[in-house]
Amino acid sequence: MTFTRVLATEFLKLHRRRVTWLSLAALSLGPLAVALFMWIVREPGRARQLGLLGSKADLAGISATWPSFFSMLAMIVGMGGLLLLAFIVAFIFAREYVEGTAKNLLALPVGRHWIVLAKLAVAGVWWAALVVAVVIETLLIGLAMALPGFSWAVAGGGARDVVVVAAVVFMLAPVVAWIATLARGYLAPLGFALAMLVLAQVFGKTGWGPWFPWSIVASFVGSVGGRVAPVATESFVVVLLAFVAGIAATIAQLRYADSAQ
Amino acid sequence: MSGEAAIATHGLSKRYGEVLAVDALDLTVRRGEVYGFLGRNGAGKTTTIRMLLGLIRPSAGDVEVLGRRMRPGECEVLGRVGYLVESAAAYPNLTVRENLEVQRRLTGAPRAAVGEAVELMRLESCADRRAGVLSLGNRQRLSLARALLHHPDLLILDEPANALDPAGIVEVRELLRSLAREHGVTVFMSSHILAEVTHLADRIGIVHDGRLLEELDREQLREKERLYVAVRASQPERAAALLAAAGYDRIEQAAGQLRVFGAEDHTADVARTLVGAGLDLNELTAVHEDLEAHFLRLTGSVR
Repeated sequence: MTFTRVLATEFLKLHRRRVTWLSLAALSLGPLAVALFMWIVREPGRARQLGLLGSKADLAGISATWPSFFSMLAMIVGMGGLLLLAFIVAFIFAREYVEGTAKNLLALPVGRHWIVLAKLAVAGVWWAALVVAVVIETLLIGLAMALPGFSWAVAGGGARDVVVVAAVVFMLAPVVAWIATLARGYLAPLGFALAMLVLAQVFGKTGWGPWFPWSIVASFVGSVGGRVAPVATESFVVVLLAFVAGIAATIAQLRYADSAQ
Repeated sequence: MSGEAAIATHGLSKRYGEVLAVDALDLTVRRGEVYGFLGRNGAGKTTTIRMLLGLIRPSAGDVEVLGRRMRPGECEVLGRVGYLVESAAAYPNLTVRENLEVQRRLTGAPRAAVGEAVELMRLESCADRRAGVLSLGNRQRLSLARALLHHPDLLILDEPANALDPAGIVEVRELLRSLAREHGVTVFMSSHILAEVTHLADRIGIVHDGRLLEELDREQLREKERLYVAVRASQPERAAALLAAAGYDRIEQAAGQLRVFGAEDHTADVARTLVGAGLDLNELTAVHEDLEAHFLRLTGSVR
């Protein structure tokens, strides 16, 4: 089947790329940072002795508990993930232009829609692996710190929230893929993702959050206003529309735009 | 369109804003022939090749490849075409073998095809090296191996001899000749290097400023090789008349120079005729003009 052949080559293309490990390193710093904050909250005296707590430190809202840890992880996966996944998608799509291989790829006897879908599938698997890795990391750190009130129900609920946020973040990835194929480089999709993070705050604070896909992520993880959970049905529809529109635009871009690079 | 044509373009044009990169190109490449597409840098060769492969859309006209109208992503036809577009490109993190494996999977070629392509392009010594550290010449070989891997019926090659050393150029030339003669593969190759094309092509199309200026077959190519005596003398009109009266009936005038054909072995006689009539003789040179001179004159590089 064509899709599986294209998918296999897309995975092969990641062989020996350090960027996969760099992305893991970047995301796994999140739970470590949260763990540090929690330790400081729990041991402020020792933290001050070690110079980890300055006079203007503000760790309000952080408590050394499992729900707090998972809540922070959801925020990292949501807001940090929007940037990190944009980086991953930009790399997967734009590298063909940057490395000059797009002209080879697009004249192959393979429907261009399969190329788009396979690349998004690779981004999805990559992203899922990162999310699973940081959830496991969070569990291990939390257990090592002996955070109070552990139960599988608490862990399962926290992990479920993180997975839902990660899924919503992934559904915004095709729009970034479209920008990457449109601009044929790395900078534009990353700039776009940064701009969307700013706009997410703007729309979130002006009451239009449920209708702006990036604000929906921000609202869900509580980065703008109070945390909104569960996400409203219309917001899921907006995210779904962004997902479908992003895929359609990326396929149309590869199929109809001149590939003169 | 004739079923014998591997490539046919009809009024093919491509415009980028004010720039007309390809201008109403009518081109026919017969199956099994080697066609040299000759032009200076910026003549429109690569743009034409990109349109042949469906990488860019024509502004006007159309392209037929192996009997099918070419549109972007025309999978059935593209499966029978091997190509090299512009610079040699490969995934730098993958080895030569892995790069070919990507091509093999996407063209549906059998597993053995990778090893065959490595052997064919003599890439054995660097087969397990990453493409990112290859020399330019070996990267070009890798690109050619990629183009040949799935045994295509038609090869569309943009400057295939780029970055190859002289031995490599001869090797690739022999390979392409063998593919065309023994396996009936049609080869459409662009170049700005005349020697490369004249050694191999059955027909040559000369393109300039996006327009096809001339098509020549091997016979016509031979005819373009001319011997004449270049003469510069005072009173060129009178000089021409004197030489005509002396029996030299093929005389051309260009940029104040007389080209006297059939006089290569009679330069002394030409000189005597003109000096004897009291003309000042400023130049008298026996010239062997080949395709290069013809090409340069045709594309306006020299007068």
